[in-house]
Amino acid sequence: MRAFNAELSKLFSLPGIWLAFLIGTFAPPAIAALDSMAEKKDIIAGVSTRLSEVGFIGLALGVQGIIILGVLAVSSEYLTESSESGGGNQITTSLTAVSSRLHFLLAKAGAVTVISILLSIVAILTTVSVTNLILGEYAPVFETSKLIGVVCYWTFTALLAFGITILTKNGIIPLAVLIINSSVVTVSYLLTKVTKLAFYLPDLAGSDMFISDGFHTPFTGSLIMFAWVAVLLIVAGIVFHRRDVAS
Amino acid sequence: MIVSSSRKITSIFGAELDKLVTLPLIWRTLIATFVLNLILVAAFTHSALQETAGTESVLNTGLASMGYLQAGFIILGILATCSEYTGGQIRTTLTTIPWRGFQLSTKHLSLAIMTIPVAFIIVASGVLYAFMMRDTAEAIKIGTMIKTLVGATGYLTLTTLLSAAIGALLRRTTPALVVLLGYYFIVSPLSRDYLPRIKNFFPDTAGSYMYMPASSAEINVLTSMQGTGISMLWTLIFITVAIVFYRKRDA
Repeated sequence: MRAFNAELSKLFSLPGIWLAFLIGTFAPPAIAALDSMAEKKDIIAGVSTRLSEVGFIGLALGVQGIIILGVLAVSSEYLTESSESGGGNQITTSLTAVSSRLHFLLAKAGAVTVISILLSIVAILTTVSVTNLILGEYAPVFETSKLIGVVCYWTFTALLAFGITILTKNGIIPLAVLIINSSVVTVSYLLTKVTKLAFYLPDLAGSDMFISDGFHTPFTGSLIMFAWVAVLLIVAGIVFHRRDVAS
Repeated sequence: MIVSSSRKITSIFGAELDKLVTLPLIWRTLIATFVLNLILVAAFTHSALQETAGTESVLNTGLASMGYLQAGFIILGILATCSEYTGGQIRTTLTTIPWRGFQLSTKHLSLAIMTIPVAFIIVASGVLYAFMMRDTAEAIKIGTMIKTLVGATGYLTLTTLLSAAIGALLRRTTPALVVLLGYYFIVSPLSRDYLPRIKNFFPDTAGSYMYMPASSAEINVLTSMQGTGISMLWTLIFITVAIVFYRKRDA
């Protein structure tokens, strides 16, 4: 529990984390607002085909913030300090304080999970209220099951980013790959045109949790994404357990 | 010691180029970009062969990956300037070269010189792959092809320089990466739908006219020269702002 508190305090004191919070809280309602305004005419006329996704598109793209959170949680530990302040890594200090690597990893993953759940709830609240404000009586009904899907999607994405960064130790690669892959036209979506197997990639399977008429049912989608997260975290855990800290 | 100013510029330029070439991350980025671009082009070619039965031109297929390819060059630009700030290299640099404006402009110049051939090779390899995979022997005008390739190279170089300028402004890798990737991959595609009137004046949309073949389906509002001009203007503005800040700010 003390390790968990320590991890929370480390996360909150990272300078980059405020960027993550900022994007996570403000990007989804902003995108949802723009989208609602663009779609408003069609929706009122009753010809819109995208009524059910209006708010969710913001939530799907707002996952950026959570990616930053997951990546920074690990990459900040491996950042080499400047030679003027000793040239050390935070990870050596962290592992001196919490000597069990498994405990350390669990505490860190727990902290990331808790923060991403909270952040996703905040994002959902703001997005739903903004959509309701703009569309008024025409606003779509936000089903609870789909909103839980969003929370799961955000949390799993954060843990994916976390796991990948443990493997790479450097924030640039996972950040670039994940941000590009959560963009408007994702690489995995393009891959679905080549092979149907691409529907089993974590982001596409995960988005089936809240986007209607997906390839999977919401429940299978969540299972597939959870399997990815679990496998990745186990691999990351084994690698982290066996790796020399200094290397 | 009195050194003539032309000699000074050459040695600053040599030093900057040397620093860029010896950054291990830059080579890794470039190799990864090259490989990933080929994979993407392969995927695009494959799906184009399946779906449209050869109605799309080879150039379009070969350049379809440009949207993703630019990410590699954004990283390249950010690495070039932000690497100075990880570990206080900047202070050594400024001790040996106390002319800040010169130093940053030569950095951009050497980055451009390094980017141009690499961007050309990567773009050309993509188009070449698409060309080889298509069995329909399509007659492409060499002139159009060269013009498109040069346009794409220019676009990638301008993007790299823009990212380098932003990196010099923000001085930290992660925020610079988030800001640029977020802009190029999230904000810009969205704004294309919501703000159709001013989208042509954004650096990436304007720049994309540099290599997009004129098609009748889309209304190409800008010519390639206009696109180049606007994109170059953005890059120059950002480089200027970066230099001004660099001169004023405490290192």
